[in-house]
Amino acid sequence: MARVLSVRDVAIGYGDEVLLDELSFDVQRGEVFAILGGSGCGKSTLLRTLIGLQPPLQGRVHFTGIGPPARAMEPPAFGVLFQSSALFGSSTLLQNVMLPLQKWTRLPADAVAAVALARLRILGLERFAHHLPSEVSGGMRKRAGIARALALDPPILFFDEPSAGLDPVTSADLDEVILLLARDLGVTIVLVTHELPSILHVADQCIMLDRAAGGIIARGAPRELAERSADARVQGFFRRQATNARGGHGA
Amino acid sequence: MTDKAFSLELAAGQDGVPHLRLSGSVTLAEGSLLWSELHRELQGEDRRGMVELDLSGVERLDGGAAALLHAIARQHGEQGGALRFLGASRDTARLLDLYACTDRSDCERPAPQQPGLLNDVGNFAHDAGQSTRAILAFTGDLVHGLVQAIRRPRSVHLSDLGRLVERAGADGMPIVALINFLVGAVLGLQGAMQLHRFGGDPFLANLVGLSVVREFGPLMTAILVAGRSGAGYAAELGTMTVNEEVDALRTLGQDPQRFLVFPRVLALLLVVPVLTLLADLAGVLGGLVVAVVYLEQPSIVYIQALQRALDFADIGTGLLKCVAFAAATGLVACQRGLSTRGGAAGVGNATTSAVVSVLFTLVVIDAIFTNVFSLLDW
Repeated sequence: MARVLSVRDVAIGYGDEVLLDELSFDVQRGEVFAILGGSGCGKSTLLRTLIGLQPPLQGRVHFTGIGPPARAMEPPAFGVLFQSSALFGSSTLLQNVMLPLQKWTRLPADAVAAVALARLRILGLERFAHHLPSEVSGGMRKRAGIARALALDPPILFFDEPSAGLDPVTSADLDEVILLLARDLGVTIVLVTHELPSILHVADQCIMLDRAAGGIIARGAPRELAERSADARVQGFFRRQATNARGGHGA
Repeated sequence: MTDKAFSLELAAGQDGVPHLRLSGSVTLAEGSLLWSELHRELQGEDRRGMVELDLSGVERLDGGAAALLHAIARQHGEQGGALRFLGASRDTARLLDLYACTDRSDCERPAPQQPGLLNDVGNFAHDAGQSTRAILAFTGDLVHGLVQAIRRPRSVHLSDLGRLVERAGADGMPIVALINFLVGAVLGLQGAMQLHRFGGDPFLANLVGLSVVREFGPLMTAILVAGRSGAGYAAELGTMTVNEEVDALRTLGQDPQRFLVFPRVLALLLVVPVLTLLADLAGVLGGLVVAVVYLEQPSIVYIQALQRALDFADIGTGLLKCVAFAAATGLVACQRGLSTRGGAAGVGNATTSAVVSVLFTLVVIDAIFTNVFSLLDW
């Protein structure tokens, strides 16, 4: 497999406050790569750094073959599903998906609509194409967000907490969508999550972040980490054990 | 001209069926070229019926291009023809299958028809009814909240009052002073030009003073407060409503009226009279500048004329009006904010609606007050 994303010695944080330091990892083409960690450990901040919304305090994020992130004059090199889906509330689902196609392709209007509808269709949303985001469920909004992220066939998709706020069944449906994108469309997926069933089901590789340690505390295939890691923090995460809340047994 | 990554050629077909051969890398990035070239090829006289599209030379196909191929095939089918895909590799075929429509209706989702005039009228009447009901419910809640607040004054959430007073009052002072100074100056200039022609220069102070203190000062101040604070309240409460913060307040046993509305209305009741007095002062100063510069009147003449022209009743009528303006601005803006529905667009609509409704209410209140004052000969 070829490397598509490489992160080298990256430090992230706000102002003078360093959240995580010395982050180095690679993402290979076609894999589902999960960034794990507890709430507030800096997962989403790292994601914002990877997609170019927040510069790293130091280090380098490099996309192989698809240029640097977020260059205003070129189509985006990747798609992003935000935690809230971030659909435009005054536009229908179809219009949301058409937006990047209208901006970055020279297709005529009927072709744009056809491609956008096809994206919605593979995510099971064609019947809701003309609904506003407020008229569909949270799971549908997530899928519409994926359809929009997928609109330009980017080689990499970034998902920020895709299962947040969803029931287990909808969350499992979303996992199947992730697998469809990775297996059938060959899209590389970088996933920020702390949903254990989702991690174990879809992720090929993962890194685990820890705020107290200030960086990556484990890396590898999730199932292997869950079964073989000797690190108490990793075991605590995978076995859902309380660690330091109200002075409980620490990691 | 850049080389494209795919090629489309007409090849010899069997049994007289036209045969198009697509090869290379076929991606959405060159979707517009693919769309136009394939459409052009399908326009040929001998290609109105069945056409074969040979995909054996396709090295790479992405999802967008697969969707385009299906869309073109569908359009060709609608014109009485048929486009058959042949020779696709396993990956290409899998992608084409993924983007294929199992049901024709799934591939064509025309936007719902726009409602007609009758529908619009019905919707308008329905919305008006809903809006009236919401206003009545708000008024009922308000009265109930007011009774509770009088019985238990400490139940009103006043910890934000200082911040609200600062934002509506202190922060608004410069713009209120500037606008009213300019209004006074413009009024003075217009009046001075007319009065000068009839030798009425000494009456400029009467014109500016009475107009500003009784009418323009309170009204312009109220309009500025509506634009700044009214819009701000509607947007703030609207965002809180769509974020379910208002529902959270209710579940915590807090009355949104006492927690959110009363402090804002109270803040406006406190600051608008002060801003109005500032506006009055700025407005007559604007007139003074015109008198001195344009009419070359000594300032003492203007000031003495002003003292003769104005009495406390004039200032009092302006202050009475501004209190009503403040209450109306606060209540209407908060009502609009709390009745917000939907997301960001709903907040925008609520804010627009608040400003328009407040301005309309201000003018109505002003007309009522002016009529009452004239009947009472104040």
